[in-house]
Amino acid sequence: MSPSVRLQEMIRVIRGARTQGEERGVIQRECAAIRAQFRQADNGTRSHNLAKLLYVHMLGYPAHFGQMECVRLIASPRYNEKRVGYLGAMMLLDEKQDASLLITNSIKNDLSHSSQYVQSLALCTLGCMGSAEMCRDLAPEIDRLLRASNSYIKKKAALCAVHIVRKVPELGELFTPASRSLLSEKNHGVLHGAVVLITELCERNPETLEQFRKAVPELVQIMKGLVMSGYSPEHNVAGISDPFLQVRILRLLRILGRNNETASDAVNDLLAQVATNTDSSKTAGSAVLYETVLTVMDIKSESGLRVLAVNILGRFLLNNDRNIRYISMTSLQKIVQTDHNAVQRHRGTIVDCLKDQDASVKRRALELSLALVSAVNIRSLMKELLLFLSSCPPELRAHTTSGIFNAAERYAPSQRWHIDTILHVLTTAGGDVRDETVPNLIQLITTATELHCYTVHKLYRALIADISVQSLVQVACWCIGEYGDLLLRGECEETEPVQVAEDDVLDALETVLQSHMSSPATRGFALTATMKLSTRITHNVDRIRSIVSIYGSCIDVELQQRAVEYNALFKKYDHMRAAVLERMPVIDKSSPGHTNGESAGGSIKEMEPTKRTQEVALPQEPANQVCDLLDLLGGSGEPPQPSPALSTTALGPVSSTAGGDLLDLLGGLDVTPVPPSVIVYEKNGVTLKLQTDRQTDTGMTITLTATNSTDREITSLTLQAAVPKSVQLQMKAPSGDVIPAHGLGQVTQTVLLNNPNKVSLKMRVRVCYTSQDFVCQDTVQIDSFPSPAW
Amino acid sequence: MGCCTMCCFHTRTFRKSCVYREMSALSGSLWTNIKNKRCGELMPIRQMYFLLLLSRQGKLRLQKWFTPVTEREKKVTREMTLMVLARPPHSCNFLLWRDLKIVYKRYASLYFCCGLEDQDNELLTLEVLQRYVELLDKYFGNVCELDIIFNFEKKAYFILDEFLVGGEILETSKTAVGIAMEEAETLQEVTHTQSLKCDTCPNISICFFCSLNRQWRSI
Repeated sequence: MSPSVRLQEMIRVIRGARTQGEERGVIQRECAAIRAQFRQADNGTRSHNLAKLLYVHMLGYPAHFGQMECVRLIASPRYNEKRVGYLGAMMLLDEKQDASLLITNSIKNDLSHSSQYVQSLALCTLGCMGSAEMCRDLAPEIDRLLRASNSYIKKKAALCAVHIVRKVPELGELFTPASRSLLSEKNHGVLHGAVVLITELCERNPETLEQFRKAVPELVQIMKGLVMSGYSPEHNVAGISDPFLQVRILRLLRILGRNNETASDAVNDLLAQVATNTDSSKTAGSAVLYETVLTVMDIKSESGLRVLAVNILGRFLLNNDRNIRYISMTSLQKIVQTDHNAVQRHRGTIVDCLKDQDASVKRRALELSLALVSAVNIRSLMKELLLFLSSCPPELRAHTTSGIFNAAERYAPSQRWHIDTILHVLTTAGGDVRDETVPNLIQLITTATELHCYTVHKLYRALIADISVQSLVQVACWCIGEYGDLLLRGECEETEPVQVAEDDVLDALETVLQSHMSSPATRGFALTATMKLSTRITHNVDRIRSIVSIYGSCIDVELQQRAVEYNALFKKYDHMRAAVLERMPVIDKSSPGHTNGESAGGSIKEMEPTKRTQEVALPQEPANQVCDLLDLLGGSGEPPQPSPALSTTALGPVSSTAGGDLLDLLGGLDVTPVPPSVIVYEKNGVTLKLQTDRQTDTGMTITLTATNSTDREITSLTLQAAVPKSVQLQMKAPSGDVIPAHGLGQVTQTVLLNNPNKVSLKMRVRVCYTSQDFVCQDTVQIDSFPSPAW
Repeated sequence: MGCCTMCCFHTRTFRKSCVYREMSALSGSLWTNIKNKRCGELMPIRQMYFLLLLSRQGKLRLQKWFTPVTEREKKVTREMTLMVLARPPHSCNFLLWRDLKIVYKRYASLYFCCGLEDQDNELLTLEVLQRYVELLDKYFGNVCELDIIFNFEKKAYFILDEFLVGGEILETSKTAVGIAMEEAETLQEVTHTQSLKCDTCPNISICFFCSLNRQWRSI
């Protein structure tokens, strides 16, 4: 019985197993048999046993005991055993296994074998799993094969060289001369391999890139030949002659033409030709056209060609095939910044894609729509986005809400529209919004003074409808507390008048307080709102008093503290109550809550403890307690500070804007704002501080200061910075690169950040310096920036 | 020139300027770690990371990894396979999974999935998958899933190795791949059935040149 039937027999048995346990049993028996066979001497069945083991491995069972067998089989003189051995090596022996080094010698021998099929096995294996050491050892062999062998081996050697270059970029220089000569090959396989190799070399080494720019005319010729050639049965795919090679050549031309006028000029004609002549009814043609469009966009092409490319993308957008629509939106996303108007023309189609069934297409359409929002189309586009939000898949909701908020903030045509939009989002998807939405919305509401009445009516109605969405409930409580008198007055120009009784309002707030759905922060909001109403309503003050006293013994410490303080306000300081609880002044948008994207300090709870610790330092008087209350009221409406640790300095300016008159009443807090600087790196005596000089909506200027507290000076100081993709970074020249010792001097460097998209700003700084003859290099991540000096 | 996808340093003083990629929410994910390991090379890697063939129940029929990955990390792709299998018919063939683009296509009862770097041309990858299926079809004659299951080690992988190496296309001509397969198969048949010694050259059983002339003599 030929052993290979046993493999198929084994597969059949495994497939026939009815339960997982049965399958495991079969596999365990087989593995035991295989192990026993491996231990025996060579009996001609080794390759079949290894094949069985590979099947078992593919099912997910451990197969590491086959690794040495792979090594032995590779060294065997028989072709079929070598073949299975190499297959086993590719599946079981990746570079992380120690045994992989053992096959280096076998591969070396096989690379010089007389049979090209054995050579090809070795090349294939090296090209798939060769580790860096193996690559270094065998690179000269590969180079030899690249030059002097038949085309079957040459193409494999080329791709093997690609793998080597990826693993060990320094070896690229070794392959450069050979790859140049490969471009004149006629065999498509070799040509393809050569183009891939040259692409890799050019991407890694700018000098090589310069060298290969001279090859642009040759590449253009080859490409022209492919495009204009007639039908070739060997390479034809749906009417396109060898689309794989065409795409690779286009990609190489893109790399060569980037940032280079001459190279770009040379390919202009070719790109126009390809763009017009390629038939895109099938995927192959579309793939070539797609690559052409990407190339046109990337190199310095003439404007007519760019227009042609955008039109092609527009045509793709109308295609029935979802894949093509997807990739056209991907490319439009890349060019929406530079060719904004061109993409705007297709806005209608893009918005229609929001309604597509497919999740991938929806995602792309969403991102592109958000990028297309402008002052002109904000109203119509927002309508579509809100419609999308109500039916969008859950994984896209958070992204949608934050995108909508950003867009609304930048282009809101009126405050009422802005508030309406945010409320709509909160009611539809309130669970998926970011934490800072609540303070931002509150701040927005306070600035829209004429809309207070309208807002509070709307929020009240939303509150009595549903109290499960925490963000909405928090905002509603705050507004009711603040503008309760407007609510109770009953009349409002903008909405139909509704009679709201004091009891109803208090019922609503109590429901929020008692509901198990409310989070602790929400209950804090509700309690404070109830308290504020004590000065705004006339009849039910006793009810408020009783609510407040009940919560004086609440288990939640935060609520308890508030309730106790409010009680005190009722009892001992009743004369101050009206003044303390009066309407809040308009809050300034002082801190960069948006651009940082940090939710630190978003909820009251986080704010309160830090503010309270500041208060401990103040003189112990009744004024102390009132200051706490001031902070309570101020804290619930504050925009978030970048990090709690900096609330020291932030406290000063904040207190001066909010309730400044009260401070004067109490003798004033004497806090002078100091330009805050954060220490971002401290090691080996080198300290790096970061200070924000200036901040606008779309950018900031920061200064990095380096000081040295060691005995010897620090030399060769370099600072490098990295920021997220859409942020632009400009580093000014540093003041020097030597930091004197003992803190006697410092090195400063200014960095300008431009953040037009208002993404969350993060920065990574790499510090390199030489200290006492040691070269040190460290990376620091900065997630939050201090607020600028006032 | 050239951009590092992960390691992020954008500065005048850096010779090879790179572009920072926003830290993905799954920054602890295994796939980001794999890319970070390559980060030392500072360059973009445009390649296929893996090619998997899955049955409709999610069983693996063929797996080819073009990057070193531990067994545990391979198991992470289970999540991806569930995503792919859950896709409704006629949907887009591309999806995003942990910074990778997944291009998949369903042929009868098999799903062919490719994991790509973000820069790659997805439409071309669809063509690559199509070409691989055509090669299998030509070789087996009306290939079906069972053919691939029972002949994985002899045929499916070898055809793949003649078509893709290191994640890149090796041969763009269908006929050339077919010819290479046939010749290698002949060599394999010859050496499998008997131990053979060739008259003209001392290499036992591997001299293909001689096998063409059929100067065999059994031991």
